[in-house]
Amino acid sequence: MAIADFARSTRESFLVGWKIESNWTDPVLFATYRLVQPLASLLIVAFIVIIGGSLPGPGLQKAYMARIIVSNAFFVYVAQITTNMGWLVNTDRSRYEVLKNIYISPGTLHPYFVGRGLVSVVNATISVIVTLLFSVAVFNGILNLQIPINLLSANLLLLIPATLLGVAGLIAVGYMLAAVSIVSNRLEFILGESVAGVFFLLGGVIFPISALPSWVQPMSAALPVTYFLDVVRDSFGLSATNHLFDMAYLALSTVAIIIVGILVFRRAELRAKRLGLFDRKSEY
Amino acid sequence: MSLPTIGFRDELLSNLKAAYARMWVRIKGGNREATHFIAEVFLPVLTIGAYVILYRSLGLPSTLGSAVILGGAMIAFWMNVLWNMSAQWYWEKEMGNLEMYMVAPVSRMAILFGMSLGGMINTSIRALGILILGVYVFQVPFQLHDIFTASFIFLLTVVALYSLGMVFASLYMLYGREVWHTNQLLMEPVFFLSGSYFPSIYISAIPFWVQLAATAIPMTVGLDAIRRIAIYGGDISTVWLHIVALIAFILVLFPLARKALNFMESLGKKEGRLTLRWQ
Repeated sequence: MAIADFARSTRESFLVGWKIESNWTDPVLFATYRLVQPLASLLIVAFIVIIGGSLPGPGLQKAYMARIIVSNAFFVYVAQITTNMGWLVNTDRSRYEVLKNIYISPGTLHPYFVGRGLVSVVNATISVIVTLLFSVAVFNGILNLQIPINLLSANLLLLIPATLLGVAGLIAVGYMLAAVSIVSNRLEFILGESVAGVFFLLGGVIFPISALPSWVQPMSAALPVTYFLDVVRDSFGLSATNHLFDMAYLALSTVAIIIVGILVFRRAELRAKRLGLFDRKSEY
Repeated sequence: MSLPTIGFRDELLSNLKAAYARMWVRIKGGNREATHFIAEVFLPVLTIGAYVILYRSLGLPSTLGSAVILGGAMIAFWMNVLWNMSAQWYWEKEMGNLEMYMVAPVSRMAILFGMSLGGMINTSIRALGILILGVYVFQVPFQLHDIFTASFIFLLTVVALYSLGMVFASLYMLYGREVWHTNQLLMEPVFFLSGSYFPSIYISAIPFWVQLAATAIPMTVGLDAIRRIAIYGGDISTVWLHIVALIAFILVLFPLARKALNFMESLGKKEGRLTLRWQ
């Protein structure tokens, strides 16, 4: 019964979130706006590799470009979930002034955050699929660069569980960001962006972690995002890492993050209740 | 009984005072949160770092790393133009301040001008922080021989960018939630086109139409000129065309901002959307 209630509340939250994100314009314009950003982000790194290939040296590093395309496409999950969930509390507390209403409705706060996080997941999934198709169409079709990416040969037995685990872990991270937002003030500009920035630098997104200074590599090796992207690349045949180990680490770290996320959120919730922070306004 | 008439001098003084007041609020407001200041310097360095390491791992010249650091510093201005200039009337509308600007006996251009000055000063401090931190952490080479020309081009670029910000601020005046999405749309694509993380013009690997589109953005032209002087040791003779282009941007964008502001203000009054919140 409790699970059914949780699922129902999550679904309603998802629908509300979807409307807030999408009903400001018509679907075509909305889709254009959502897709241009990840595509531009991909083009930046792709053109860096292409420019590198045009200079004297080893030429176009096709395997490297394939790696970057896949990693960058899936990094959209990280960017969208952390940024959107980092903003959520501020929007609902200060702008729409509904956080207090959500809080006093029985059992809605947690499914509300999960539902809103799932909106980012759906948006990101569409971006990932379009980015991958766009990459193949542009780099292998129009530019004929013969980048070794075959989307049809992806190992779905690896890709789907890795994506589910990665997304679950990221929602837990988003949950923590929401918790920090509840008990802090005016950090909404920083929270999600900081986490996404650290993951972009240390998660092996656009270069292997061996390229990082040696003292930073252990931090990179501890991040679940590193393993998430490793397994995703494995599933496209673009990496030679031990995918069983990566998947096991990803699963364990996801469970650990979810537990930590729930604990952090509970603590923040108690503090916010004690200090009356659920209806605090932060103006500038 | 007729209303008292105000002379040109008094009107100019009032507008200058309004611009100064708006600038002061921006500088004060932008620097009162230490966490924001630190984040605005350190966060870009994370992204810059990723691209510098990418260049290194591809075995490319270290001057490309220098180009990324300059690009990262200029992005701070673009972000400020988008979020603190273009979207500003929207924020003011949401907080209920826009109607006060509308009834104040000063030109709205004076307020936008003050906002621009404050934004330029605040962002220059942050951009300098990004530059110093980036150079210190990543140890990339620079060959700056003509500091006067570099400073002049930087100034022209920033003025052109904020003139563009004034145009956007006017056009955004009636926006609701689409402000967020429009600004998001103008981030990564502009980073790509302007060559913030890689040289996007005069490079044969970049398709001609991309280069053409890129030169419509003042940041592309300014950034390319600054890179030529600061990284490759160029002087005014190598960038005079860039200077002409930047002056042209300013001469077009500043009057355009005034026209756009008048048009949107009049439209907003007719449609009753100047005080509409939570759209």
